[in-house]
Amino acid sequence: MGSTIFLSAVVLIGIGLILGAAIGVVYKFFEVPVDPRVELLLELLPGVNCGGCGRAGCADFARALIGGEAAPAKCPVASQEVVAQLAQVLGVEIGRAAKQVAVILCGGDLTHAKGQMLYNGVDDCISASQVAGGPKGCRYGCLGMGSCARACPFEAIGIVNGLAVVHNEYCVGCGKCVDVCPRGLVKLVPVDAKVHIYCKSPEKAPAKMKVCDIPCIGCRKCVKAADEGQFTVNGFLVEVNYGDYPRPDVIEKAKCPKNCLQTCRGHEEFEYGKSIGESA
Amino acid sequence: MKPLKIKIVSFKKGVHPRDDGKSLSRSSAIRTAPLLERYQVIVGQNIGLPPRVVVKAGEEVKKGQLLAEPSGFVSAALHSPTSGKIEGIIDIPGPMGIPAEAISILADGKDEWGELPPPLDWQTVSGETLKARIQECGIVGMGGAAFPSHVKLSPPPEKKVDCMIINGAECEPYLTADHRVMLEETEKVLLGAAILGKAAGVKNTVVAIEVNKADAIEALLARSGEYRVGVVGMKVQYPQGAEKQLIYAVTGRKVPTGGLPADVGCIVQNVGTAVAVADAVTGGVPLIERVTTITGEPVVTPGNWRLKVGTPVVEALKLAGGVKRDPGKLILGGPMMGFAQRSTDVPVMKNTSGILLLDKAAISQYQASPCIRCGRCVDGCAMQLLPSPLSCMIEADRFQDAYENNVMDCIECGSCSFACPARRPIVQQIRRAKAEIRNSLNHKKK
Amino acid sequence: MAQESLVNLLELTVGAMLVYNFVLARFLGICPFLGVSKKLDTALGMSAAVVFVMTLASLLTALIDVYLLSRSFVIGGVDIRLNFLQTLVFIAVIAALVQMLEVLLQKFSPALYRALGIYLPLITTNCAVLGVATLNAGSGRNVWESVVFAFFSSLGFGLALVIFSSLRERLELSAVPRPFQGMAIALITAGILAMAFVGFSGLC
Repeated sequence: MGSTIFLSAVVLIGIGLILGAAIGVVYKFFEVPVDPRVELLLELLPGVNCGGCGRAGCADFARALIGGEAAPAKCPVASQEVVAQLAQVLGVEIGRAAKQVAVILCGGDLTHAKGQMLYNGVDDCISASQVAGGPKGCRYGCLGMGSCARACPFEAIGIVNGLAVVHNEYCVGCGKCVDVCPRGLVKLVPVDAKVHIYCKSPEKAPAKMKVCDIPCIGCRKCVKAADEGQFTVNGFLVEVNYGDYPRPDVIEKAKCPKNCLQTCRGHEEFEYGKSIGESA
Repeated sequence: MKPLKIKIVSFKKGVHPRDDGKSLSRSSAIRTAPLLERYQVIVGQNIGLPPRVVVKAGEEVKKGQLLAEPSGFVSAALHSPTSGKIEGIIDIPGPMGIPAEAISILADGKDEWGELPPPLDWQTVSGETLKARIQECGIVGMGGAAFPSHVKLSPPPEKKVDCMIINGAECEPYLTADHRVMLEETEKVLLGAAILGKAAGVKNTVVAIEVNKADAIEALLARSGEYRVGVVGMKVQYPQGAEKQLIYAVTGRKVPTGGLPADVGCIVQNVGTAVAVADAVTGGVPLIERVTTITGEPVVTPGNWRLKVGTPVVEALKLAGGVKRDPGKLILGGPMMGFAQRSTDVPVMKNTSGILLLDKAAISQYQASPCIRCGRCVDGCAMQLLPSPLSCMIEADRFQDAYENNVMDCIECGSCSFACPARRPIVQQIRRAKAEIRNSLNHKKK
Repeated sequence: MAQESLVNLLELTVGAMLVYNFVLARFLGICPFLGVSKKLDTALGMSAAVVFVMTLASLLTALIDVYLLSRSFVIGGVDIRLNFLQTLVFIAVIAALVQMLEVLLQKFSPALYRALGIYLPLITTNCAVLGVATLNAGSGRNVWESVVFAFFSSLGFGLALVIFSSLRERLELSAVPRPFQGMAIALITAGILAMAFVGFSGLC
């Protein structure tokens, strides 16, 4: 009995030594050096591979960080603390990190925007916009088919009454929705900019009023109520200057006659996680 | 019907609607529409650059006077359909659902011709002169695409073109305008074909016609010898008149992916275009009117009308006696590839081959159901694609897979959607995929 | 004698691949079977990695088994066999082998390393690799037979993986009812596939 234990111990120790030595030798002679920081960074990064940084996934971004080709703040998903930790690992400055969120610059839900035809086709914004300009009368407005909601990896966009609405708390500003909107209505804005003009139609005011109850008619009341440079006037359309955005009290002061100057809205009706893909 | 003494060719696959609706208007001779009070000529009618407007509001114009000049090589001139006063340049509902810029002309009722370019002797002048005249007269492809004809006639010099095909297939159901043109203006069709052949410098010119238009084939055969133009019969199958299918049927050549007919030495022109070319060369007449089929079950008297470009559709429908009952859909062009309209204020354009009203029952709104893999779309696809897997891939947002399966080759003829028993909107999905793929390709370029 | 060796060879090859398929009949290596079967490309990569590792590992383990663990040592008049150490030793050998392979591949064939990269560490804990080693040891095959058996077993694994990933690619295009989407329908498919493979039983 004793000799069995002794022999097995000898054999196991022997095999262990041989294998250990072999691994050691192989590592010694053939190892390709890998920056250990890649692993560290990968642990810190969100790992959702959303591509919001413009790289092919978090691993690629980590390599770019180490190569100095990207700044930590480029990750739109990471919180301030995470960005700080990333910067610490890299030993660099944080870089400019203004958190952005998406906003959909249209207020034309089914109550306010007039429909012009019965659309019975593929449930997708690009498809709808190809058929005689879409179901709504306004050819610049939100089509409400939810292409942006499906593109959002964080389910931060919902369709409320035929209008896409962004939920700021869940939006990380990755910008995936910006590319898919055939009308170009989605804009990334600083998270602290709470006032938006929910209209992006460059048409003349009478034409807009024919198809929508709440268009921007270019009356400039908001421009007068705000400080200089906080709004830019572009023909019949006033746009918020997101570099120097107005405060929420401008809504009270401006008394927008069409109610298209508003704070972020629709969220009270919006249930997180209930994107249109699920309700369909 | 006695058998035709003619070669009958066809492409592979395709579909054929059992009742093609052509009997509604087939026997109705072309009538010329009376003069209207107002015409609205859309400026951007052709593919390519829209022409530059050269008239101002309040100006008096004569019939055939230049309204807009070409703004580049791929651009066609625009002429006044009648004499009168320019009311203004306004936005009107366009055929694609998007407002379009149009020149509104208040007719003075005299319909006076302005100064026209002199007639040309087509047999002696050079091909370049003919092409210049074709551009000057604003001639575009009248089958539907509205591609400026002179551009088609000028292929790059390294591509040897040896075959001119005049497209008289008219494979779209309901439409009979080309049929009547070939029957009633046989000589002009052949003359136009010969001129087009000369302008492009090709030896073989053939008119290709589906055999359901036997009377037109006979009429053309009787005179074709004088103009050295061949006549080919084609099987009645949709989309026989689509460019790539037509070339394959007539010559057996296959246009490569992403290629043009000139890559296989062919040029295709519509019969309506041939007539317009004959008028332009022998009379200096610009393209200001065209033959259009006004048809559909709800129309009181379907027929073929010679309409001036810029005639509002609502006026055109009045010519045909109005409607018997509320129609379900208004389509410009044919039922397979035409465009549904949201307004009857849309004017007739150079490429409006038909104004079609469909009954509510005929367009009842179907709910698409899952693909049952019956393969009818595969049997129908004129481009030999696999529409059913493509549609499933697009439904699952897998555009890369669709791209690898040649979705970009689709000609959007609609045979697959027509054949699908599950009523899947296959063409619409494919159009979406094309848009998405083009977007992402543009994105990559940036 | 010739007939017997033919039967033996058939059992080693066809048997290992189809009749006693590692995934679908023995239910070994289910983790990578479900984990990396979403796309055909990755399934092919995983199959290649498994073929490589399994053949090599079984060569090593068979050598150790035949020349060390299955031999009888007579020490002080006592006959000692170390068969009971098989599992322990095999795991150590396989783990070490994969570690070394990873480094060597990274050095000498970065392209192959990138292609297999994620799957190599996965294989370390793959029960199919350990399974083939213990099966070889248990059936008393010699080294040569063990390697052939391992090679064809891993081919069988690859076959199942490729079939399954192709099925899953098609499944993604179909309208699956919501409760069945994802892994649920994949497991049902795997079950049906396994039933289909039962059809091979009795072949040899």
